[in-house]
Amino acid sequence: MDVTNIAAGVTGSLGVIGYGLAAVGPGVGVGLVVSKTIESIARQPELAARLQVTMWLGIAFTEALALIGLATPFIFGK
Amino acid sequence: MTQHTLGSSQLFKRVLGWGAILIGAIAVVASLLGYLLVGQKGLVSALIGASMALIFVSLTALSVWIGGKFSLGGFFGMVMGGWLLKLVLFLVLVAVLKRATFINGPTLFLTLVASILGSLAIDSLVFFRARLPMGEQ
Repeated sequence: MDVTNIAAGVTGSLGVIGYGLAAVGPGVGVGLVVSKTIESIARQPELAARLQVTMWLGIAFTEALALIGLATPFIFGK
Repeated sequence: MTQHTLGSSQLFKRVLGWGAILIGAIAVVASLLGYLLVGQKGLVSALIGASMALIFVSLTALSVWIGGKFSLGGFFGMVMGGWLLKLVLFLVLVAVLKRATFINGPTLFLTLVASILGSLAIDSLVFFRARLPMGEQ
């Protein structure tokens, strides 16, 4: 059985795959932002407060993509 | 917004305040446009979209602000746990609202996107205008 036949046998809402993909990118992004912040705080603990606030701005931008991606059923889903 | 040294709690208060004002303004404009273009469904959708954006955007700032009062582990638990909870809540809301007959999808989506982008602009503006002290705890 080749890939085309397997793909043709998939049933259900394809939108669900889209929502899943919409969460993957921002998930990786937020993970990177947080891991780099932890790394930086470990190197310079005295900058923790400043780094935490900077991290919040990074998370805000990354999660905007997740929220927009997860809201797409309102325009594409039927 | 004057340029002076801000504590992080003052910064978050400012972000939440300005964000609420901006999203409120977007809600007014979007509900007016929605009502004129789509009717009552447009008005309701614009209000729901703006409320969703306000809740989800404010939760991020709140989780970092409140989390900052805890130890480092507590801080990251609060921020990441808040993020996870928020996304699950958002998925449930979308699943429920998608079946609702009293909303207009495109109006809700556009209001949500406009509110999120607007609040990002406010976040950046407040952040870059504030000069945070280096060694604040």
